[in-house]
Amino acid sequence: MSKKLKQIAIYGKGGIGKSTTTSNISAALAEAGYKVMQFGADPKADSTNTLRGGEYIPSVLDLLAERRRVDAYEAIFQGFGGIYCVEAGGPQPGVGCAGRGIITAVELLKQQRVFEELDLDYVIYDVLGDVVCGGFAVPVREGIAEHVFTVSSSDFMAVYAANNLFKGIEKFSTAGGALLGGIIANSINTDFQREIIDDFAAHTKTPIVQYVPRSLTVTQAELSGRTTIEAAPKSEQAEVYRALARRIADHTESKVPTPLGPLELREWSAKWADRLVEQERAAA
Amino acid sequence: MTINLKTSTVETREQRLGTIIGWDGKASALAEESAYARGECGGCGASGRGGAKARRVCELTGPFTQGSVCSEQMVECQAGNIRDALLIQHSPIGCGAGQVIYNSIYRNGLAMRGHPVQNIRFISTNLRERDMVYGGADKLDAAIRAAFERHAPKAIFIATSCASGIIGDDVESVARHAEADLGIPVIPLHCEGFASKHWSTGFDATQHGILRQIVRKNPTKKQEDLVNVINLWGSDVFTPMLKELDLRVNYVIDMATVEELAQMSEAAATVTFCYTLGTYLAQGLEQEYGVPQIRAPQPYGFAGTDAWLREVARVTGREDKVEAFIEREHARVRPKVEELKKKLAGLKGYIATGSAYSHSLIGVLREIGVQVDGSLVFHHDPVYDSEDRKQDTLDHLIENYGEVEHFTVGNRQQFQFYNLLQRVNPDFIIIRHNGLSPLAARLGIPAIPLGDELHAFGYQGMINLGEAILAVLQHRKFHQDIAGRVKLPYKKSWLAEKDPFALARVAAE
Ligand code: SF4
Repeated sequence: MSKKLKQIAIYGKGGIGKSTTTSNISAALAEAGYKVMQFGADPKADSTNTLRGGEYIPSVLDLLAERRRVDAYEAIFQGFGGIYCVEAGGPQPGVGCAGRGIITAVELLKQQRVFEELDLDYVIYDVLGDVVCGGFAVPVREGIAEHVFTVSSSDFMAVYAANNLFKGIEKFSTAGGALLGGIIANSINTDFQREIIDDFAAHTKTPIVQYVPRSLTVTQAELSGRTTIEAAPKSEQAEVYRALARRIADHTESKVPTPLGPLELREWSAKWADRLVEQERAAA
Repeated sequence: MTINLKTSTVETREQRLGTIIGWDGKASALAEESAYARGECGGCGASGRGGAKARRVCELTGPFTQGSVCSEQMVECQAGNIRDALLIQHSPIGCGAGQVIYNSIYRNGLAMRGHPVQNIRFISTNLRERDMVYGGADKLDAAIRAAFERHAPKAIFIATSCASGIIGDDVESVARHAEADLGIPVIPLHCEGFASKHWSTGFDATQHGILRQIVRKNPTKKQEDLVNVINLWGSDVFTPMLKELDLRVNYVIDMATVEELAQMSEAAATVTFCYTLGTYLAQGLEQEYGVPQIRAPQPYGFAGTDAWLREVARVTGREDKVEAFIEREHARVRPKVEELKKKLAGLKGYIATGSAYSHSLIGVLREIGVQVDGSLVFHHDPVYDSEDRKQDTLDHLIENYGEVEHFTVGNRQQFQFYNLLQRVNPDFIIIRHNGLSPLAARLGIPAIPLGDELHAFGYQGMINLGEAILAVLQHRKFHQDIAGRVKLPYKKSWLAEKDPFALARVAAE
């Protein structure tokens, strides 16, 4: 292999804007001339939609369900800027085992040496939020990805999911697993939101990689089945994503995070809940 | 495509080679549909570029297709049979149900090869409900350490299971830690039963782990007279034969020591009695360490053994010795074969064994004048890992011994076995796996169980097999009595069915 492949996993709670952020990072990296693969590891299999004009692609597991033997290339589709799009796929909610799905899909691509053959610069895994079971930890723990970033808003549930992820990373850190690159703070529009996420970052000794404001441009781009980079390349928001992609590209040193314990997390969130109530009262 | 030793999980046979477990037709048609540059059969689409070895052979799948053991059990009978290593089954206790039978096979094998007889060393982590919820990694770690203290093994293998695979238990990092602490190889073998339909993936899983973690990476010396023999438990027929060429035998995997496995990279060549078993390891040794695998037919019957010996001699630089040996053996064996032919004339045999092994046994039977109209193999690999046509065992059979009219790939389904035997009505069957002789007995057909896989090997094998047939025919009357008194449990409609795959064909419509 001529160049060093950089593998990055982006985790975040469902609905937090993780796929949007990931796709924009991929798009920005591709725009900057890198060869990128985006690997969606969410049973919804819609991670790469905005890279392919809103189109769904058959997932690795869809193909495996149909036939016994799958050529990994049948599950790889090119999208915006030549980005290779792959969806692991998975079962319907409430049935089967989505975690096993991720294990199977990742294994298949690794065994067929797809990453080497495509001579990629970046593989970006877009992984569903909470690290609930062994399968969801695969990109972290097997050292498949070297760096993990988490997309989180200032929402308590999102912070909770991020904290869980930190626990997973901490657990596997001594066993050659991936380390934490930092938090991508999403939908941060007010100072108060920023304070919350900053405080969480401080408590867990985690850097914030980038603050990404909520923006109508993103929604409009998504509705047209595109990333912001593609749909509104000149927008302010596109610049934000480009800056984020640059940071990720330049990022070299990840760390073992220090997650909050269950009690600490509760106390921490109670503290912020109180402040929130105070603030609202003051506003009223 | 070469084999990929970078990932810890072996690629399954169906994915790597296009292995199937259901097919029925003429042997020549299967050979045609299979690989070795004959092209695609066209029916099931072209093979893709990833997993380029795999060929698509049209597979018959019915409601009852799979009917035997799983990969995990093949790991048990390989990794579990290394004399100074130990196997941990990271599984519910049920996966260990085969321990008793494997112990008996192991003890017999040790005795047969003149090793001290000992019990097999398996430890089950006994995964339970609690472990499925909270993960079994701690239990595995405890088991590894207990195993080390109790038995002081030179290596510890870990067989995964469906249970550990589904919950995604982190076997890898537990193994890595333990390996660093204990200073011996701790080797995870991924053999979840659900991952592959065919047990032979379990052979590959074991061989994959051995190639990755035991075989000496930078061999400093070359042992130019050492030949790796990939084998099971059978009697030692390779030593006297290879001695004729001044070669020493390194038997692997069963009953080898960890050091014997480690030195495989120093050997002059790798051979096996069966490509179904040895394809992965032989390819891995060649690819990673430049130890050539013997690219020749399997050593059975005159043609196969001649070609095999010549190739071994060529690769190891012993051409000067081989012709005289072949000549001596021919002179010794031919008259006996002629004798046997007379006694066996008019008999019909049926073979139900593993795949490549059956191809060779059919040849042996035809050498000694026995008619073979049908055979059941438990799976079919359209190609072996070398992708070398010289190893195409099915082709060798057809080219040297002609067509097999009813050639069946099926995974030991009893109800099908009934129709298969009815179709050709043999005088005896040859088997190697349990569960097949009772049904044949009920039809009045005696079985020759080749517990010793090397019974039919080489020149002498033709005589051995002939004599075994003569012996088993003594039981014919006994079997006919059984047939006269027992009833089969199937419906009349099934008993009258001519097509063993009738159910599969209905399902396919
Ligand atoms: S199929 Fe699964 S559960 Fe059954 S013996 Fe094999 S590994 Fe164990």
